[in-house]
Amino acid sequence: MKKLTLLFSCSIITALVLISSCTKNNDINIDPVKGLTKLTEGYVAGAAAKVEIYTKETTITSGYTKFYFALYDSVSGKRIDDAHIHLAPLMDMGTMKHAAPFENPASEEAVNHLFTGSVTFVMSSMGGSWTVTTTVHNHSNGKEGSFTFPVTVNEPTKSRQKSFTALHDGNKYFISLIEPSSPKVGINDMEIAVYKKVSMMSWPADSSLSVVLTPEMPSMGHGSPNNVNPVHIGNGHYKGKVNFTMTGLWRLNLDFTSGGAVADSTQYFDVEF
Amino acid sequence: MSLQLNAQITLNETDSSKVVQLNEVVVNGNKKTDQQHLVNFFRSNQSSTLEEIMERVPELSLMRRGAYGMEASIRSFSSSQVNVLVDGMRIHGACTDRMDPATIYIEPLNLDNLQVQTAGKGFLSGSSVGGTINMKIAEPDFNTAHPFSGTISSGYQTAAKSFYESAKLNYAKERWAFRASATYRKSSNYRSGGGEVIPFSQYEKINYSLSAKFQQNKYTYYKADIIADDGWNIGYPALPMDVGYATAKIASLSVHHQQASKKISQWQLKIYANNIRHYMDDTHRPNIAMHMDMPGYSKTAGFYGEAEMMLNKKQRLLFRADASSTYLKASMTMYETGQLPMYMLTWPDNRKIQNGISVSWLYQVDSTTKLQLNSRADYILSNLVSQEAKDQISILGYANANRNDLLKNISASVTKDFRPGIKANINLSYAERMASASELYGFYLFNSNDNYDYVGNPKLKCEYAFAADASVSYNWNKNRIQLNYFYSKIFNYITGIKEPSFSTMTIGANGVKTFINIPFGIMTGVEASVLLKPAPSVDFVSTLRYTYANDDQHQPLPLIAPLKNVTSVRYQPNRFSVQLETEAAATQTRINIKSGEDETPGYFLLNARLGYNTTLLNNNFSIQTGVENIFDKKYHEHLDWGNIPRPGRNIYLQLKISF
Repeated sequence: MKKLTLLFSCSIITALVLISSCTKNNDINIDPVKGLTKLTEGYVAGAAAKVEIYTKETTITSGYTKFYFALYDSVSGKRIDDAHIHLAPLMDMGTMKHAAPFENPASEEAVNHLFTGSVTFVMSSMGGSWTVTTTVHNHSNGKEGSFTFPVTVNEPTKSRQKSFTALHDGNKYFISLIEPSSPKVGINDMEIAVYKKVSMMSWPADSSLSVVLTPEMPSMGHGSPNNVNPVHIGNGHYKGKVNFTMTGLWRLNLDFTSGGAVADSTQYFDVEF
Repeated sequence: MSLQLNAQITLNETDSSKVVQLNEVVVNGNKKTDQQHLVNFFRSNQSSTLEEIMERVPELSLMRRGAYGMEASIRSFSSSQVNVLVDGMRIHGACTDRMDPATIYIEPLNLDNLQVQTAGKGFLSGSSVGGTINMKIAEPDFNTAHPFSGTISSGYQTAAKSFYESAKLNYAKERWAFRASATYRKSSNYRSGGGEVIPFSQYEKINYSLSAKFQQNKYTYYKADIIADDGWNIGYPALPMDVGYATAKIASLSVHHQQASKKISQWQLKIYANNIRHYMDDTHRPNIAMHMDMPGYSKTAGFYGEAEMMLNKKQRLLFRADASSTYLKASMTMYETGQLPMYMLTWPDNRKIQNGISVSWLYQVDSTTKLQLNSRADYILSNLVSQEAKDQISILGYANANRNDLLKNISASVTKDFRPGIKANINLSYAERMASASELYGFYLFNSNDNYDYVGNPKLKCEYAFAADASVSYNWNKNRIQLNYFYSKIFNYITGIKEPSFSTMTIGANGVKTFINIPFGIMTGVEASVLLKPAPSVDFVSTLRYTYANDDQHQPLPLIAPLKNVTSVRYQPNRFSVQLETEAAATQTRINIKSGEDETPGYFLLNARLGYNTTLLNNNFSIQTGVENIFDKKYHEHLDWGNIPRPGRNIYLQLKISF
């Protein structure tokens, strides 16, 4: 019995040591850009800073795209964790130009040395060329400047970006699928972003719509139970839950209403895994 | 279905009341039980499948989905309410559609006897409200004239153009005995009454068994058993899919001790493991919308120990302790051209760990009265074992699908001899049962009988039942009449109800059902049997059974077998024998419409059998032939899925050599 007790306490101690050492390791060795792909880098003229720009995807496709910015002092090479970043996407189609929805980094404090923003590319580079101008206000020296980089936006195999002219107000709305980004059988986060095109240069986030989500397997004709309709959580983002009962091709049907009036009932995103 | 003519039905003159039956069943196994007379009578033809034999036992009825893989139920209790054991071992089918009940993995050639424990004794080897069927497998034989002995048989049946070949070999020398057997069956699509050929009713299988027994001394022996069963190309006409292959491997090691003079008069200990793989597909079906594969796996390992303790001349205690762990996983993959495969778990991988202990107290009050108290407790842990499984069940709204259940069972029974030959038994019991893996964790399991997809409910409450059982028997000369009555009220009865908010997975299904507990269900009925021997060469056997079942809304419960009678007369003056047999079932009008049931018409069948036995060069030859369903009646039983007609007129011929 004594031996057993001893063995038992030993194993508990070992387990505790293992657990605590794991936690420590996590704190020390995290690489902020692990798993991200570097899109480009360059000097932010006038801000005395170098910027590195990363994305999660290896190729950028039309739709909601997150950008991760790492800033360094252009002389010392030290990280800059306190800065104000402003984005300005632009599509140049030769005869005309237009902007796109975007989200500036929410905070002037970097999170784990990275500033995160997004651009919703409402079309691919087929029709022209995309650039994103990044204006950096470097809080360490008070200087400001900008860096413009081109982005090649491809057509995705499954569209993540749709638009419709709303029946109730005649405005043009752009909807982007954000989640599920790595779908699985089970409960998945469902997130879309909705923007309204007010002018060629103004694409504000919209919070006025109600969304009904109906997932369906087109080849089988069945859906899934216990889904949660996306509701607005801020900045045009709508969050809910989508349940996949099996792998394969799923169609996420989305019906939009505004105050009881139908805005659109023809939109869907396909997800295949 | 072929019943032999030359076998003697020996009416057991010894005490066959249920009290002793338990003792015999649980510990001895080599004495005869009530059903044993019937099983022996009906088993005599080695080409009968186990299912065909079971169908003649009054307590049993079979749920049929094809010519193969019928599911046994006791008194119309469902398979989830009944334990099916192989020599005391737990074994769980690997098919979510229950195409592979454990009974298909045992050939009658491997079977020593079939033990059906009902009412108060039904839970002794596993908590159950419906009872236990235990298939006692045959042991190597020491008592042979020569070291080598065996049988070879071969048979043919016309209805399914089916072949049956089997061989059994026994070798005994000094303290060792070995037994090996092999059975091969091949069956084509069978012809139903009236001449229609039933497509997808074919099957083919091989079954092997090997046993070794070592007699250490007068009191103790060791035994090792292996059974392997391989079936392939098995059609299920009542289902949208067939079985590509189904394999089972069953192995056990045991030690047995018997010493009547000792306080612990006998005990045995067994460890076992079994592994089943079952592969369903629809590759042979025409006009399918989408090709589909459904493989399933089942692995069980466990042990049990049993002991009998003599307290004094009048009192005995029986103990059993057992534990087992069962792992199940089944999945479905569908293929649509140009798309990624559609894959899901139909049994999200789950494990059930069961630990149980049972105690019986047997008290011979006086020369005419016996008392027996039985009790059992089971502690069962059920878990989903992979993240994939948990993710999938979470869709149904169950964040935690793990559970621990303590099941309690208790019963009391009194047996009294009145006048010589008249014996009465009354039994009262309380029993509980756990929901099955499909009822807890099933994920869109298609039931082609009511055309609904079923989803499990991990929060189901356990069923508990109060039951009463009474029997009277009268033995005189070599005759016997027995009448049984049973009544069982099952609370938290588990059944499926429509879940309108869910959309069907299976193309063409009516909807989705989920399992719930309804307040209660009631099952009651009678069984009667008559065994007469009016002359030394004449045997008459007749059995009758009836079950009446209602739910709390006074609606009939589904899948309840109607009134049925099987009667046989056998005349065997010498080496030659002849037997006439009738099977009759009443129309089942008490149906559960919500389950998609319809009325099943009654039927009457007549079978005739002939046999001849001779000895040539010291070998025993037997020839059996006969015609079943002589009138070529087109019929099906109420428990048959899809109203698929059963075989029509069937002529069989079988040869057997024993050496």
